[in-house]
Amino acid sequence: MTRRLACLVAAALTLGQPAPALAYLKFGVPVGGQQVTLKWARTPVRYFVSTASVPGVTSTDFQGAVARAFATWQAVPTASITYQFAGVTAASPGSDDGSSVLGFQNRPDLDRVLASTSFLVDSATGALIESDIFFNAAFPWSVAAAGDSGRYDLESIALHEIGHFSGLSHSALGETELLSTGGRRVLSAEAVMFPIAFAPGSISARTLKADDIAGISDLYPAGDFTSDGSLSGRVTKDGQPIFGAHVVAFNPATGAMVGGFSLNAQGQFSIGGLSPGPHVVRVEPLDDVDIGSFFDASQNVDIDFGVAFLDRIVVVPKGGDSGEVAVAVVRK
Amino acid sequence: MIRLGSLPFLLCAAAILHASPAAAQSSASRPFRFEAGIGVSWMGREPIGTRTATETTGAGGTSPLFNTSSELGSAAGFDGRLGVRLSRSLVAEAEAAYLKPQLRIAVSADAEGAAAVTASETIQQFTIGGNIRWMLPGRRWSPRLAPFALGGGGYLRQLHDQATLLETGRFYQLGAGVETLLAPGGRFHTRGVGARADVRAVIRSKGITFDGGSKASPAVGVSAFVRF
Repeated sequence: MTRRLACLVAAALTLGQPAPALAYLKFGVPVGGQQVTLKWARTPVRYFVSTASVPGVTSTDFQGAVARAFATWQAVPTASITYQFAGVTAASPGSDDGSSVLGFQNRPDLDRVLASTSFLVDSATGALIESDIFFNAAFPWSVAAAGDSGRYDLESIALHEIGHFSGLSHSALGETELLSTGGRRVLSAEAVMFPIAFAPGSISARTLKADDIAGISDLYPAGDFTSDGSLSGRVTKDGQPIFGAHVVAFNPATGAMVGGFSLNAQGQFSIGGLSPGPHVVRVEPLDDVDIGSFFDASQNVDIDFGVAFLDRIVVVPKGGDSGEVAVAVVRK
Repeated sequence: MIRLGSLPFLLCAAAILHASPAAAQSSASRPFRFEAGIGVSWMGREPIGTRTATETTGAGGTSPLFNTSSELGSAAGFDGRLGVRLSRSLVAEAEAAYLKPQLRIAVSADAEGAAAVTASETIQQFTIGGNIRWMLPGRRWSPRLAPFALGGGGYLRQLHDQATLLETGRFYQLGAGVETLLAPGGRFHTRGVGARADVRAVIRSKGITFDGGSKASPAVGVSAFVRF
């Protein structure tokens, strides 16, 4: 028995509940009353590319852009996941044929969705069988090396979607502003997995950030990832634990920021993949994005508190955990 | 670059270099072979770097999220020394010191209005190293005080309070001071008991630093010694 699940860039559907083991939002599927982290059991993960093209992007261009995006994820030295191009196909993304397909589809009805990743999962075991990515041909696309004003950069969007394809959910490391149309415009982001894309013409999201690298390494650890440390604790407000607080660990030596969330009823969080050493901890409400891009609507995400810093430095040990850090936030 | 540490050292060194020729023999320079000392020391603060947390903009630039400015605070601690006399005016010393400075990170200018805070955590600093102490010839300010200059360096290990290894590095130091014999020897094969004060410029390489550069700080020490 299989079940198809989907995740969209702009209007994300969250899959089950985030896996609570570490605080990167990873996709999880409920199996036998428990959440199982969605990830590929075997690598290299084979993918096909559809023959569909759009104005400005030929099938060959498309194949090249997604290959670069896959290569970017595969180049993370602390992650073991690998991908393999399996060929071109006339099949469309979304067909439950056991093959992972990336390609264009024209979906003008999804007027805020640039691209979407879907999964075919064995609901009895939680095993990931297939993942497809469709890119919405209703939008203008580009594969120009320096970007193309007025067109979305295919490689950047593919990099984000391949993060989903690999099992990562969204990161909240970014700032936005509300538009009069009701949407949001990204001012800045420090994670490819931020749920809202930069404006057309931007190629800023072709490069993975520390948060992305920590997330993929946590899912598929390799190399010296185990020598990285973690920072864990709990977030409270008025003495009560809160769910969904965005916790960011900042390394003042490297400038790296890695984020996570308080993910259970005890307000606990844990952020792995941190370079050993002192860190500054910042906690903020999830108010720069649609909460639905991160959590199921049934989950009570608390955003009624102000941004705060922990008043102590947290020293992350090599290959170990900081020990529980208590962060108290104050109602707005 | 030496800033805070250089001034007292240079003042002291200048005073020594302009001293007149020798007059009386100080009691502090009476012949001895070995010396052991223990004392307290103070090390001044060390700025260790500033860093701005940034996010990437769509145009490829950066947007500041908040600023950090970090330092190792001043701290007092203990030190111990063993010295061996190499010649009439030169003493080789091995020294070990322990301090508990506070690592402080001041966070400010948050883009979303978070209140500025100074986060801190106490660390432990162990140093082990050696010096060459040069008993300066010439007239003393006082017949009881013997001036000296010293230079040396060694190994440094900075640990978190829970004994988690943070960093290791090296230190180098230059300084000057005075010593005096407070009591003559005779008992237990000693050749005198005295006190010493020094001021040093300490330059640290590696260890905890957030911008990669060498760090300098002033240090002063007061100790008691016994000679054999």
